[in-house]
Amino acid sequence: MSNSDAGSPAPVVNFDKLVQRLDDAITALDESRAFAKPGKLPRLFDTVRRVLLQPGGSVAIQERAEWIEKAGVFWGTDWADPSILLPSLTTHSLQSPYADTVIIEALSELRLLAVARGDYLHESVSAEQAHHYLTQVLAINLNMLFGESGEAEREQGKLALISRGVVQHVAKQIGYEHVIDRLIEEIWRILQQRPIQVNSVRQMITQIALCRVDPNVDLGGAGQGAERLISSLYGPTQACREDPGIPVYEERLQSMDSGALQSEATGFARSMHDTGLVSPYHAAFVSYILEKQDSMLTEALGLSSTGRDCLLCYKDLVHELIREGVFPETAQGLYGLALLLERGILYQPPVAPALWRQARLSICAEARERIQLAYGYQPQPKAWLIQGVLNMLGQPLGVGQGNNPTCQSARALSMWAYNDPDYLLQMVAWAARDNEIIMHFEGQPVSSAASRGGVASEVTLDLDPVSLVVVPHLDRIYAEMGRMCINRPGDPHEWVNPEFHGWSAGRGFRINVDVATGQLEDLETFLRHFYASYHPYYNGNQPLIHPQPAGVAVTDSAARFIGWHAITILRVTLDPEDTMRVYFYNPNNDSGQNWGDDVVVSTAGKGERFGEASLTFEQFASRLYIFHFDPLERGEPAEVGVDELERVIGRVHRSWGRDRLPAEVLQAEPPREG
Amino acid sequence: MSEQKFDSSKGYVALLGWSLNAIEAADKFDRRYVVVAPDWAETYCQEHDIPYVPWNFERLNDRSVEIAQTLKDMGVDVAIPLFEETVEWAGAINSVLMDQPKLFGQSLLLRDKALMKRRAQLGGIRVGIFEEAHDKEDVVRFLKRVNQTLLKLDGDPNDPIHLKAFDKAGCLGHRVIRTPDEVDTIPEEEFPVLMESHLDGWEFAVEAWVHNGKIAFLNISEYVTLGYSVFVPATPDLEYYREQITREIEKLIKTFDIEFGFIHPEYFVTSDSTMYFGEVAYRPPGFKVFELLERAYGFNAYQALIMTFDPKTTEEEVKAFFPKEVVDAKGYAGCFGVYPRRRVVSKLEMPEETENHEYFESHELTAPMEETVTKRTAFGTHWGLLYFFGEDPYVMRDLLKHQEELDFYV
Repeated sequence: MSNSDAGSPAPVVNFDKLVQRLDDAITALDESRAFAKPGKLPRLFDTVRRVLLQPGGSVAIQERAEWIEKAGVFWGTDWADPSILLPSLTTHSLQSPYADTVIIEALSELRLLAVARGDYLHESVSAEQAHHYLTQVLAINLNMLFGESGEAEREQGKLALISRGVVQHVAKQIGYEHVIDRLIEEIWRILQQRPIQVNSVRQMITQIALCRVDPNVDLGGAGQGAERLISSLYGPTQACREDPGIPVYEERLQSMDSGALQSEATGFARSMHDTGLVSPYHAAFVSYILEKQDSMLTEALGLSSTGRDCLLCYKDLVHELIREGVFPETAQGLYGLALLLERGILYQPPVAPALWRQARLSICAEARERIQLAYGYQPQPKAWLIQGVLNMLGQPLGVGQGNNPTCQSARALSMWAYNDPDYLLQMVAWAARDNEIIMHFEGQPVSSAASRGGVASEVTLDLDPVSLVVVPHLDRIYAEMGRMCINRPGDPHEWVNPEFHGWSAGRGFRINVDVATGQLEDLETFLRHFYASYHPYYNGNQPLIHPQPAGVAVTDSAARFIGWHAITILRVTLDPEDTMRVYFYNPNNDSGQNWGDDVVVSTAGKGERFGEASLTFEQFASRLYIFHFDPLERGEPAEVGVDELERVIGRVHRSWGRDRLPAEVLQAEPPREG
Repeated sequence: MSEQKFDSSKGYVALLGWSLNAIEAADKFDRRYVVVAPDWAETYCQEHDIPYVPWNFERLNDRSVEIAQTLKDMGVDVAIPLFEETVEWAGAINSVLMDQPKLFGQSLLLRDKALMKRRAQLGGIRVGIFEEAHDKEDVVRFLKRVNQTLLKLDGDPNDPIHLKAFDKAGCLGHRVIRTPDEVDTIPEEEFPVLMESHLDGWEFAVEAWVHNGKIAFLNISEYVTLGYSVFVPATPDLEYYREQITREIEKLIKTFDIEFGFIHPEYFVTSDSTMYFGEVAYRPPGFKVFELLERAYGFNAYQALIMTFDPKTTEEEVKAFFPKEVVDAKGYAGCFGVYPRRRVVSKLEMPEETENHEYFESHELTAPMEETVTKRTAFGTHWGLLYFFGEDPYVMRDLLKHQEELDFYV
């Protein structure tokens, strides 16, 4: 830090005077009447901003943290209650182009630092909690500690200096060792969900690797656990242990005997299945053996007997896909290929020919441009798209929506990849080759080319190659279908969901919110019906056949309503502890979320498969607001126990349903004690 | 939340108009108060427990007496205008509350720039040449006549004339006209206007608190550039005229028969030390001079306002409240109004030289809402103020002047 930023803060500033101004601004806020406090904030914020731009600014603010908070700077904001703050949101605010957002976040961090250091006894957060929180903040904002500045920071201008300065100051006081270990845990937690998009994970691992070799950073004993992560990218086997570079590695391959090659193959496969990450050396290796010893492919992909059978049946196709799609840059496709083979979906008659089409697909200019913008010019867009297809078919639950409001489209892609792979391949072909997708809504064709625009004004580039090409089309079609329902009473998902996702989405539809008023509606019948349709104890022990679209009310860690969100219900079954759980897919990029009121979505350790999220049936039911069912199979409302029902309803009323109680419910319920 | 503890032996005041700074000052002061404001303020007042009476000042009809009666029934002693638009309301209400019908007439006088000049002339106060204009022809005629009087020949550059709305505060609607062509740029709806000859000289403003017909505190505000910047106290060069200015203000108080409250007149002093009266307002000045005074002297100017309006205030309290002019100031406080200089702007960017200057205190600029800057007609409204504070009046003056050459919006 000391040499990188030297000279940028103008030295002419009289720091003592500036701090005096700061004290004046805090005093003005402190002595102000509550109703007039908002008017005093701009001056304080601007002064804090100037102080933080100076060397020693963070210290000056940290010393005054208690005074600043008690003066009322956080009143009426989320920051007022530090116990509900989410570390993951700090990145967004610290990288904001708006000075006030950066400043209030910086103030909050420095306040918690004062708490963590024991200088400030806070009434709602302990020193340990503050320390824990800051550790996570550091882990998530590690790029501000070490990384190069990105586009977001360029947009931010001088504000980026403040964010970096504050994060670096916090790191110095908290200690780097805490950050690194926490970051490693975080990476493992994400990898357990086996996302398709692993760019940010790769970046984080790269940063840890850089940090470990940087003599200026004292990691203490930390960072040992990063070994497996770093090696999975930069040296998973004996012959590339020291990250020699692809050309050197290829030379080494030339001189290896079959025993050595064999051990390379198993080394790659073990590392890949261990982390879900694929090293570029792995791609170089596979390309090499494809020419000389293709029998080793089974080991190199780490296949079981199922996958091996499939590989042997469709050897030419697999070779073609590797030759056209697997390069060091697109190495991640190997993991998708391995899982695709394991799933046995090549045995479905249309899938193999559809993949042949994919391997030779000519890609239209628009799709090329998007892929090149996101991934660069090397290798060809076609290779990226093949990688994307392999990963999507291999990891259908690893699809993420990126930073886009397009959960519906991501869910559809995931559902097709899971359930209807040749249909997905058809969609990819239409979008990538023809730049148009046509779906039908109640018999009427809906074209993505003729649409007036999607839900998202612009689909960002932080997506896997398939989503990158297909989502803009799906999003427009989805929005268009919504427009075709404008004059119908009720919620448009009732008609749009089955038409959009396919025949297997149930035509029966239930919602527990009155669309016109936003109030809860007939919650009890809704729940009884949900139990009757999905809960094995009430539906004749029938496992769910097709994944079903559903809608949840997402709440934050304080159980406050955030928004409606599309998910897929995949399975309902007993977990290892014999509790009934709903396993579902969440198109959000990280499913592990705290929805408040003890509802914490689990992603591993409760019987989840890769990419699945899960909640107990009761907890899930308490956040559900839309589900589909087969109207012909509709049973009687389930005789769910009163206690269980009350628990679920209680959870609804304590969270997103808090402000949605219809008047008669309030009257019908006598005030309870406690 | 109002946390006020008031002294019941002192007066009960009504603040006319919505000003959060004034309300807060009142809440921290020892007079019982009530805010009279349009009904959009109601929720806010209820939420924060601020004493409040709804009133729509734009509605003038035969029910207007109701507000005076309401306040009288509440036991209010005096109404204090916070904005130009509430000056005659205060006059009307106070004439009822205090049973002094002349207060209403006085307030009308103070609301109309043409009437006020005539009254000043009658009181023996020097004013420039002025006239009312009802249409563009009047303006052209006045421009020609003023320049003929100045013995200009055809082709000589004209001396400009100033056009001002009769009843608007400060620089709103203020235009400078130099040629007959420019007259065409005046929209019809701005008429009628007041026209004045241009006086080459030094323009300044005075803030004077009046109690029992005498000056309780007199501040001279130095304009660096009219419409851009002001600071208090003034430089010694302008304070040199304090004696003379005080006599002028006493004349003004007598002419307008002002017994209490606060006046905010503007003057020119020409190179031969002659004072010309510009106009006078019976309400707090714009451009946050009250805030500057608090910064420089430490007293709250709104509380001073409340005190000098309150009929129950004693001589002793007034004496004890105010500091001694100039000598008691801790430094010089100034502010600068920012106007974007470019036609198209995308963001707010404080120049480093301003931000890092040791006199710079804070700013209240916000990011631009629109990219295209509306062309400034007349003097317009600034986009926000910068505040400065320091020890040397000349550094302050030059610093404020220099800001005019900087871009804050790029």
